[in-house]
Amino acid sequence: MTENTVTLHIDGTPYQMPEGMNLVDAARIYAGIEIPIFCYHPKMEPVGMCRMCLVDIGFEARDRATGEPVLNPDGTPQVRWGRKLETGCTTRVTAGMHIRTKTQAVTKARKDILEFLLSSHPLDCPICDKGGECPLQDLTMRHGPGTSRMAFDEKKRLGKHLPLGDLIVLDCERCIQCARCIRFQAEVVGDDVLAFHERARSLQIISISDPPFDTYFGGNTADVCPVGALTTVDFRFGARPWEMENIPSISPHGPVGENIALGVRLDRDSGGVKRVKRVLPRQNEEVNEIWISDKTRFGHHFTLSPDRLQTPLLRKRGELVEASWSDAIKAAAKAVKEAGNRVGIIAGPMMTNEDLYMLRGLAGHVGSRKLGVWPPNLGDPDPVAEVGIAAGSRLTALGKGDAVLVIASDLEEEAPIWFLQAKQAADRGAHLVVANMRTTKLDRYAGHVIAYDFNEGVDVLNGLTAAAISHRWTNRSALERVNGYDELTAALKGTRQPYKEAAEAMAKARNLVVFVGDDGLDPEGHTALLRAAANFLIITGHAGQLNNGLVPVWPGANTQGAFDLGFSSENTRAMLKNPPEVLILAGAPAAADPAYAALLDRVETVISLTMFHNAAAGADAPTTAVVLPIQSFAERDGTFTSAMRRVQRFYTAHGPAGQSLPAWEAVGLIGERLGMPRPPRSSALVMQALTEEVRLYSEMTYPALARVAEQFPPIGASPDFYGGATRSAAGGTGIAWPSRAEGRGKLTVKAVRAPEGVKPGPGELVISPVRRLYDRTPEFYTATLMHGRIPEPFAAVNTADASRLGIANGDSVVVHVAGAAVHVTAVVDSYAPEGVVLLPLYLSSEPMPLVPLAGTVEKITEPVPAD
Amino acid sequence: MNLIRGFVTTFKYLFREPVTYQYPEQERPFRERYKGRHALKRYDNGLEKCIGCALCAAACPADAIWVEAAENTDEVRYSPGERYAKTYEINMLRCIFCGYCEDACPTEAIVLEHEHRLSFTDRRDAIYTKADLLDPPSDGVPDTPQRVPPGSFDRSIPDMQNPL
Amino acid sequence: MAEHILLRDLDIPDIRRFEVYTRHGGYEALRKVVTTMTPDDVINEVKKSNLRGRGGAGFPTGVKWSFIPRQEPIKYVVVNADESEPGTFKDRQILEGNPHQLIEGALIAAYAIQATAIYIYCRGEFWDLTHALDRHIEDARQAGFVGENILDSGWSCEVHTHLGAGAYICGEESALLNSLQGLLGQPRVRPPFPAQKGGGLYYEATVVNNVETLTNVPWIINNGADAYLQIGTPESPGPKIYCLSGHINRPGNYELPLGITFRELIYEHGGGIPDDRKLKAILPSGASGPVLPATDAVLDTPLTYEAVAKIGSTLGSASIILIDETVNMAWAGSKMTQFFAHESCGKCTPCREGTYWSRRRYDTLLAGRAAEKDIDILSDVAGQMTGLTLCALGEFAVNPVVWTIKHFRQDYLEYIQQAAAEEKPAARGKGKAARDAAAR
Repeated sequence: MTENTVTLHIDGTPYQMPEGMNLVDAARIYAGIEIPIFCYHPKMEPVGMCRMCLVDIGFEARDRATGEPVLNPDGTPQVRWGRKLETGCTTRVTAGMHIRTKTQAVTKARKDILEFLLSSHPLDCPICDKGGECPLQDLTMRHGPGTSRMAFDEKKRLGKHLPLGDLIVLDCERCIQCARCIRFQAEVVGDDVLAFHERARSLQIISISDPPFDTYFGGNTADVCPVGALTTVDFRFGARPWEMENIPSISPHGPVGENIALGVRLDRDSGGVKRVKRVLPRQNEEVNEIWISDKTRFGHHFTLSPDRLQTPLLRKRGELVEASWSDAIKAAAKAVKEAGNRVGIIAGPMMTNEDLYMLRGLAGHVGSRKLGVWPPNLGDPDPVAEVGIAAGSRLTALGKGDAVLVIASDLEEEAPIWFLQAKQAADRGAHLVVANMRTTKLDRYAGHVIAYDFNEGVDVLNGLTAAAISHRWTNRSALERVNGYDELTAALKGTRQPYKEAAEAMAKARNLVVFVGDDGLDPEGHTALLRAAANFLIITGHAGQLNNGLVPVWPGANTQGAFDLGFSSENTRAMLKNPPEVLILAGAPAAADPAYAALLDRVETVISLTMFHNAAAGADAPTTAVVLPIQSFAERDGTFTSAMRRVQRFYTAHGPAGQSLPAWEAVGLIGERLGMPRPPRSSALVMQALTEEVRLYSEMTYPALARVAEQFPPIGASPDFYGGATRSAAGGTGIAWPSRAEGRGKLTVKAVRAPEGVKPGPGELVISPVRRLYDRTPEFYTATLMHGRIPEPFAAVNTADASRLGIANGDSVVVHVAGAAVHVTAVVDSYAPEGVVLLPLYLSSEPMPLVPLAGTVEKITEPVPAD
Repeated sequence: MNLIRGFVTTFKYLFREPVTYQYPEQERPFRERYKGRHALKRYDNGLEKCIGCALCAAACPADAIWVEAAENTDEVRYSPGERYAKTYEINMLRCIFCGYCEDACPTEAIVLEHEHRLSFTDRRDAIYTKADLLDPPSDGVPDTPQRVPPGSFDRSIPDMQNPL
Repeated sequence: MAEHILLRDLDIPDIRRFEVYTRHGGYEALRKVVTTMTPDDVINEVKKSNLRGRGGAGFPTGVKWSFIPRQEPIKYVVVNADESEPGTFKDRQILEGNPHQLIEGALIAAYAIQATAIYIYCRGEFWDLTHALDRHIEDARQAGFVGENILDSGWSCEVHTHLGAGAYICGEESALLNSLQGLLGQPRVRPPFPAQKGGGLYYEATVVNNVETLTNVPWIINNGADAYLQIGTPESPGPKIYCLSGHINRPGNYELPLGITFRELIYEHGGGIPDDRKLKAILPSGASGPVLPATDAVLDTPLTYEAVAKIGSTLGSASIILIDETVNMAWAGSKMTQFFAHESCGKCTPCREGTYWSRRRYDTLLAGRAAEKDIDILSDVAGQMTGLTLCALGEFAVNPVVWTIKHFRQDYLEYIQQAAAEEKPAARGKGKAARDAAAR
């Protein structure tokens, strides 16, 4: 879109509009005039298929000889109207264009198209899940014919229940062949899983992948569907759209902080209480646009799962038994009091800022500084505070002339929305560089794929930085505010620069966004990688600029918030060396790592605040003395800070599971027993106190977080505009705190080296954990409809290693690492680099380390079954 | 004089047939359009007419109706279409017998019948469930859920006559 | 005409063979073009000859070539041999009998726009012809006319053939390009046009020409545009292959100059109507053009793009189907509608739904369940499609409905009256029904 503003006449009235903008959008936004559409969607290329947006388009006539405009006798410019009506969605705004939307021809065309569409559409609006929020219904009421002339028995009858994969059901009769779902999958996601089959009136949607509809984004097709043809298995017939309240919320899965709306309604099967019926995206162009991953959409079932811990548990005579809150709090407070400052806290990925603030207050009261983050494998997050992506940036702005680097992360598995946005940035012309020790799906969109060996990520970034320095691709004015540049130059002298082209593309890019993950990295390696990425951003002058900066791919929804409030992964690791007397596990599945499972046994008392009473949360540890049930994100309000440092607010959707309390309240009750002031009465007041104490969050009061930034294009704003179920940004679009680079202060670069890393002994391999989107953590596994899509526990072994070890694809193997034995199926391919076994986390309940370590893989020879 | 006229009137009515009905021994015939308690209707084959669309609940001015829907299969079939009412409840304390639900119903499943003896001793009993509301199947017709041969019902909503 | 220009296989046996073709002056035009002419010279010569596209639209070929942007590094020539219009079988004869002239013409076109490759898209049923064509291309390659550095000019051009999968819509150029790219054969939104970057094959600038059009080109180069203008009329010069089919004594391909009348073509060359029955209707361009009643005024119309347009139809690809008095035109309209309902790609709403609806309404009509208002619905549906569809198929699909109703409403009423009178399903066509009954 150019910044040029031109004059365009709609129905005779002149309007100022940006040149080159899509006519449908421009008419709606700048003139408030509706051009009805079905197939057009502002997030996809226009195709002009449905023919609903036909308008009369004309141009001001110009004299061929002189080039002067031809004028009517009254002095107005003469308009040459097109011979036929044209589709608005495939037309762009140009100077001198005239549009008529109210002529008889246009009105008739709309009526005719609707009559055609309805001639094959079933009249089952009463039972259709889209009924009530359906563009076809709305536009028929507005523009359609009052009656049908098609005889009912002339209608084409088709299947009503055709499963496209496990999650989406297609109603072939309702489909109006707009191809939005196909185009979403092909253009936006890049998964070619849907296609048209047959032709003419037999044209219909089929899935062409195996397994069918194999994608992490399938639920979005049901949102963009302008009719009720695509329904999700989760919601199908669950409720009528008008019966639900849509509660603004934030995805608790992953670092993106997808804005969602929880559709809640009373449910008789759940005992007549409110529960989440469906999850819809809420538009936020700076976060998730209008998309959410299937994990977010379908992974809400844990909120009122029967597996949830309902009451506090207290250890009495060696057994954990149900207890009252007051007894449990009393016991917990007693333990904390006795331990004094020897109290350690490990906060899990779903702890909100309010919870963390209260935990921090409790630790401060007893004089402890042991504030740990789960998982424990993360490095020093300071580079994020320094050069993190600038507040207000949007990945949708990246395009030609920009660059994106993704290093040590499989974005599709770890942060699916960013995968989608990085892929689309590359589609728009941004230079995408993907660096990893293994192949990831994003490679196929990359301009450069840098495949490095295990533990060499830091060297790759140093090489890029060295190339930028030696070729003077640095930014002189930016260097003026940099400390340590000369030292960095000296330290990088002689560094190999094998990826000069990638370095040049990134350094010279107008905007540069760097995603840094923790794939195959130990904490020291992660620290070094974040620092090395920051070095590159700083010296090339990208730090602190809008649409530039570092994005850490944290594992949790509020990992950034924990860092902001003084928690750290380092503190968690320190507890292994120096165990506290009392360990408070706040939503941290610490026993999932064998080293920490052992730690639980070495402390005197474990107090576990958890949603699920399971082994990972310390259920099996004899030291676990108190277990307190806490509420999920849907049962309470609070805030999460996304990895882009955006603090976002979510609201209470339904009542609590059992007697559970928000974690901040449970912690506050313990604190009260210890002589702290009475806990605040609401999370809003907790946040109020937090804003007064934490400088970074000084603006983040609840009213401020509830402010809604204007969204463009306004997809969610009005259901009858683009159609689809996307919700408006109501409830707040959140506030990101600015990085230091956005201020005026000095920035520091510091040379870093790759740490020693894992040195496998003879016969050993590196066992490197990787994160998968779908896993068997209770927060996701409670969504039973997703079970078919969660892979069986497996380990990826390189072909060369496998042949050395005599392992074939599909063999049952046991991975021995750090005292743990993990039973998995071997997947032998070139996906894993040589010498490294990739072991996905949380696919089985067996504990496994969260950092790469040396270990062995052993084939299980199955006993020959006796006849 | 007035007194006499009054006695005359009394005397006159003494020999007329009284208008009082000796309810409950004697019942007065209902007007055709009397709106009494709701009934959920069935088709002749025993399947329920209700498709769980909840339009009655949407139309209800007193918010007295609660509907939850589920999907039919050929093994477990309640109604001819794709969808049936898993839960159907009317709170008779709230109901004002306006009949909007009847007007809103696309399948003529809910009808306000002539039953008027509604009394309860507990507020909970005022909530009539689907079991209370559904008409029993006519003689010799199986009750729902029925097991039907696959493909017998392929319409989302059963075919109906045009009400006009 | 003494000698054929396009159907030279009728004059020279075995001209399909490379040796025979070269012995009769084959590939001389290509040699002349490559060695003595600049690309602009070629375009100007073709422009001057006023050669018009023979695929149906009649767009001047030289003008089309001149739209190709010079500076683009990659350009393509695509030969449309997806001959699928009902009643058209001219390209088949060229591919079968005179393939080298087509290859030569395509190479000249490729030289004129400096294309790097030629794709010949043949309809799926031409698989045997396509295999033969591959061999002919190989022969030309052996002689240095195809491939790297053609005739030492430094210009290289590859020729590929591609088989379609049997879809009428793939004769539409943008659908053809999609199909050639391996995508679903559905038309694209224009602009961008194929001649522009972004609109053609693999989104590069592309010229799409019909087989017959390109087959004219070598003759124009050899004999000059002026000689070409002597044939036919000034607006529509050159020879044209007329495909005669239907109720005619001698069906087949006739290469004659543009400008002869229907009467000449049907009664002199085609030998008239069998059994001297009365001609009822003429379809001048297969199923997609408006049907004409066989009046004297029509029969005396010269066959040029302009003259046929003037009487309310199109010359199209000159696939002339003749229908005599034994056929009920409502039945004929239903047959053609069935064709379009089957062949619509389904991409845009009016065509997908409109053709299906019309077909169902015809079913009702032919089954004798229709009333007079159904005729109005039929023409309403057709009217609703007109002007709203994405590509030309939808626009053409209404022609059988609109024009049979306009010219032969009585035939429709016959079904309705018959149904009303007998209260039983009407027979199909009068004559045809009788013949069917006799056959049974």
